[in-house]
Amino acid sequence: MNKTIIIISLILTLSLITLSSFAKGNQITCTGSTTVLPVAQATAEAFMDKHPEINISVRGGGSGVGVAALQNKTADICNSSRPMKAKEISAAKSKGINPTPYAIANDAISIVVHKSNKVKNLSVDQIKKVYTGKIKNWKDLGGANLPIVIISRDVASGTFEVFNEKALAGAKVDATAQLLASNNAVVSAVSSTPGAIGYAGLGYVSDNVNVVMVNNVMPSETTTKDGSYPLARKLYMYTNGKAKGDVARFISFIQSVEGQTLVKDQGFISLN
Amino acid sequence: MLFSSISKRKLCLALLVLPMLAGAVETKLSGEFWGRWINETAKKKDASGNYQDKMVNNYLSLERGYLGLETKFSEMTKARFTIDIFTTDKTHEYIQDSLQTALPVEPITSTNKSGSVDGAGLKIKYAYVDFTGLVPVPDLTLSAGMQKVYFGTIYDWNYTLIGKAPTDEYKVANSADLGITLNGYLPQGFGEYALGVYNGEGYKKVASSLKENTDFAYLANLRLTPLPGITLGGSFMSNSAGREKTLDGDALNASYEKQQLLDGLVRLAYGPVDVWSEYISKKVEYSNETSAAKTKKFTATGISIIPIISLKDYIDTDVQLIGRYDSWDESDRIAADKARSKLSAMTFGANYNFLHDESAVPAMQLQLNYTTKSYDEDESHSDFAAGKKDSSQINLQLKWRFANTLK
Repeated sequence: MNKTIIIISLILTLSLITLSSFAKGNQITCTGSTTVLPVAQATAEAFMDKHPEINISVRGGGSGVGVAALQNKTADICNSSRPMKAKEISAAKSKGINPTPYAIANDAISIVVHKSNKVKNLSVDQIKKVYTGKIKNWKDLGGANLPIVIISRDVASGTFEVFNEKALAGAKVDATAQLLASNNAVVSAVSSTPGAIGYAGLGYVSDNVNVVMVNNVMPSETTTKDGSYPLARKLYMYTNGKAKGDVARFISFIQSVEGQTLVKDQGFISLN
Repeated sequence: MLFSSISKRKLCLALLVLPMLAGAVETKLSGEFWGRWINETAKKKDASGNYQDKMVNNYLSLERGYLGLETKFSEMTKARFTIDIFTTDKTHEYIQDSLQTALPVEPITSTNKSGSVDGAGLKIKYAYVDFTGLVPVPDLTLSAGMQKVYFGTIYDWNYTLIGKAPTDEYKVANSADLGITLNGYLPQGFGEYALGVYNGEGYKKVASSLKENTDFAYLANLRLTPLPGITLGGSFMSNSAGREKTLDGDALNASYEKQQLLDGLVRLAYGPVDVWSEYISKKVEYSNETSAAKTKKFTATGISIIPIISLKDYIDTDVQLIGRYDSWDESDRIAADKARSKLSAMTFGANYNFLHDESAVPAMQLQLNYTTKSYDEDESHSDFAAGKKDSSQINLQLKWRFANTLK
């Protein structure tokens, strides 16, 4: 038994000896949402210009990938286009990770259609019927006699999760939908497909597609901030506990006037 | 559960095709396979009747071959089906002759064991459906079917060590069973909970070994994370075993037992250190036992302490060092009973994780474990002949996993 106690003591002692901070110098790793990606990249570049001693690595992969990276301690910052789920927070906390959210921008998930499409407005209910395959032709929505081509995001996407919650109320996307891995891919596919409908973060919307109103509300800074646009959301950066050091400086920079100008430059909506 | 080779092929094909036919939104195919080398030394009688340390096992095996499909029908409904294909197990309970006629279940012997194996065994590990949103409580899921048993650490045991979860190792609970559960998460990540009704027999019982008892098992589980790095958990399960309370002719079945199972968990995680400690209590009552010479009730208790240290942040390689101390005490029985031993076990191990994906989850893991077991009972006790002997074991295992979305 004494031998056992000695061995356990050795293990615990070794454990205590290895306890130390995770200081990794001036390297910040930022992973996750493809929606947040352009904001993170633009602000990281500007921040590194001001602080050349700090190197920020920004990667995409989707909000789910960012959450997993934070849980696995391989990212300092998790970019997420949705709030973390209770299950994810619980799993992180049990590993000693304390996910702490920082809102960095507002966004409106914009419904986009082909340039030739004359439909200007869709209700949330109509969007749900389109995405669940109950409405299959634009003529049923006041448009041309043209089959609807559904473009959606893959399920690892935070944008998909927010869209699914707010527009589809959790309903199943029709099996004919094309599932694409990024906002850019969605906008590009819609721009080249006459009957297509898709959705993307406001920052990704280009002149090559038409944006339709939702419940007669156009996505804009005003309608997002006043809450009247039904598909509005916040974009987040999550850190392990309260952000410290260079990570805190970087997030403060994004939330500053200068950082929020960059947010707007990327087509997203500032916090204030 | 053993199937013919043809049946297995059909089952695997059906696994792949059915979700697509059902119009699933997304189907994820995943697999996890454990290739293991086992070398065990234990006490064995020599020609003069003295016990000596001798090698008793030295073999390679595919210990587990999980193949799973996770099918999402909508954001609120998803199903999971997982089978386990393996080359070694002690549960060859269902034997077929060449005409595919089921034969009675027999105890495993050296003669019929080899006859029952057709290349690999197969068990259904999970087959359940998750419904969220049925009950208007956030983050609450109703699960129905062959699913996890939310008891102690058995339901999220990820085999950081090669050995089983303590409640699995000491036959306190099964890792999967048929049942209906309500399982969910508390707001703000403050923890998780589960309430369930199960068969209470586990996923390995098949054919004429069903049904082992006439009572359902009832489970309650609560796990709290009040602060990051601190997890406190408690589980309670009421179960029974030993077939029916009464036999033909209303004769009392003396082997029928009522079980009250308790588990307490404390997990502390800070930086690279993660320590799990678990307390288990198994209270058994033989309500039909009338013989004074036999145990009528007893309580077995155990503890398990598992410290894990990750060296990833220090040597830039994903290496973990692991230790484990287990104690399992069944000595609260009368002296004439078997299985009244007190076991102490120690394990030391190291994991090398490699081929990580973008979320830093390793696709492969090489594990090396050394385990020693020692029993309080000596060679004179009947448990000793039954295999409860001091032993040491070296396990080397390569695990590999994959997960791909088919649609």
